[in-house]
Amino acid sequence: MACERYLNSIHESIDGTIGSIRRAELEMHLDQCEDCRALHDDLKRIHDAAAALPRLDAPDRAWLQIAGRLRQEGRIQPEAKLPVVSRRQYYGWLAAAAAVILAVATAMMLLGPASGPAPQTAQSTPTVTPPAPVAATDSKAIESATTAVTAAQEQFEKAIADLEKVAKANQQVLDPATSTTIDKNLGILDQAIAENRAAVKTDPTSVAARETLFETLRQKVTLLQDTISLINEMRKGNNAAAAQLVNKS
Amino acid sequence: MSGQRGVTMATSKETELDLVERCRRGEVGAFETLYRQHSGRLFSLAVRMLGNPADAEDLLQEIFLSAHRKLESFRGESALGTWLYRLAMNQILDHVRSRAARTSQMTDGLDDATLLADASGHRLADRAIARIDLERALGELPEGCRAAFVLHDVEGLEHREVSEVLGIAEGTSKSQVHKARLRLRGLLRRNV
Repeated sequence: MACERYLNSIHESIDGTIGSIRRAELEMHLDQCEDCRALHDDLKRIHDAAAALPRLDAPDRAWLQIAGRLRQEGRIQPEAKLPVVSRRQYYGWLAAAAAVILAVATAMMLLGPASGPAPQTAQSTPTVTPPAPVAATDSKAIESATTAVTAAQEQFEKAIADLEKVAKANQQVLDPATSTTIDKNLGILDQAIAENRAAVKTDPTSVAARETLFETLRQKVTLLQDTISLINEMRKGNNAAAAQLVNKS
Repeated sequence: MSGQRGVTMATSKETELDLVERCRRGEVGAFETLYRQHSGRLFSLAVRMLGNPADAEDLLQEIFLSAHRKLESFRGESALGTWLYRLAMNQILDHVRSRAARTSQMTDGLDDATLLADASGHRLADRAIARIDLERALGELPEGCRAAFVLHDVEGLEHREVSEVLGIAEGTSKSQVHKARLRLRGLLRRNV
């Protein structure tokens, strides 16, 4: 067992705060006492291992949540600065958003009158009223319904492709965890779209199958729009708004 | 202060006070700067005190929300880092104590003779101390000496600063760190 009277000296030697006289005395003792030398060496290794422990980084979402709560409580003001996003990128996104409006409007025209209000902005999710049900025996009607559904699908897919292109090109702005979650959700929606598309192909006259397909397509458009909004807010440095989008999703 | 850790910031006092003033005015960018400067060390502190990154993340949010509320009372008498450490440690210890109360965990009550006896015998193996073993052993320390050890040996604060953060005497800080080292030696020996 180590000698209790040298214990403080051993700790102070490890901390580098021991005076020269006590250090010389301790060194003489350590030469003669194996237990104290073992204790000194072990405690030094523990001290060095502790000092080498890495600093841990808080996840990026922690700041977004803090900023979101401060904003909710009205304790911070947004900075009066211009968006960081470049004019070129801005117009690129604007074009993608316009493409969505156009595609959605076209899809709605192809499918007949919509039951809901017309979309006013790129953020509005389309309300699609599928074609009226037709009798299974009317082959012309089936053909017509299939054509309308295919055309609407194509318009949705064009809009989705444009949005995906913009989102993918800028996704590096997002933290890896958020990006992974978005990719995972897009994968789930893709699978659902594929299954619903197969169901529509099997029974083109099924209103339920078409509604489900267009609902999943709408969900994908909304998710991509939210992703682009999140990227935009992150680029602007508007973390509170980004936090709200993260919380919303 | 040793190495790059500790509460002494590279920023000057004027810069620090200016940053605090901008935070008080509600500038989100200023508070984000303050967050970026200090969140890493406070998160590390919270993880090592709580032993759980998820709890540490939740607590980190509460620490910074509380810091934002209390910045009005910051007068610059101590470094901003020390002030934040103190605020963080109070919240962390409250959390640890409420958790300990729920699980009826006992703390401290370790004397040097017991620890010396516990730590005597075989020395640690010659191989390097694995980070995971050290982190696990840290989690088994009583809260008082764990706090002092994390601040002093891991974060690199001086005993004077540890005493300021924990609101204890400098001698108590030394004694807690010494106890923690001896206890860790016993725990690590058991793990090898």
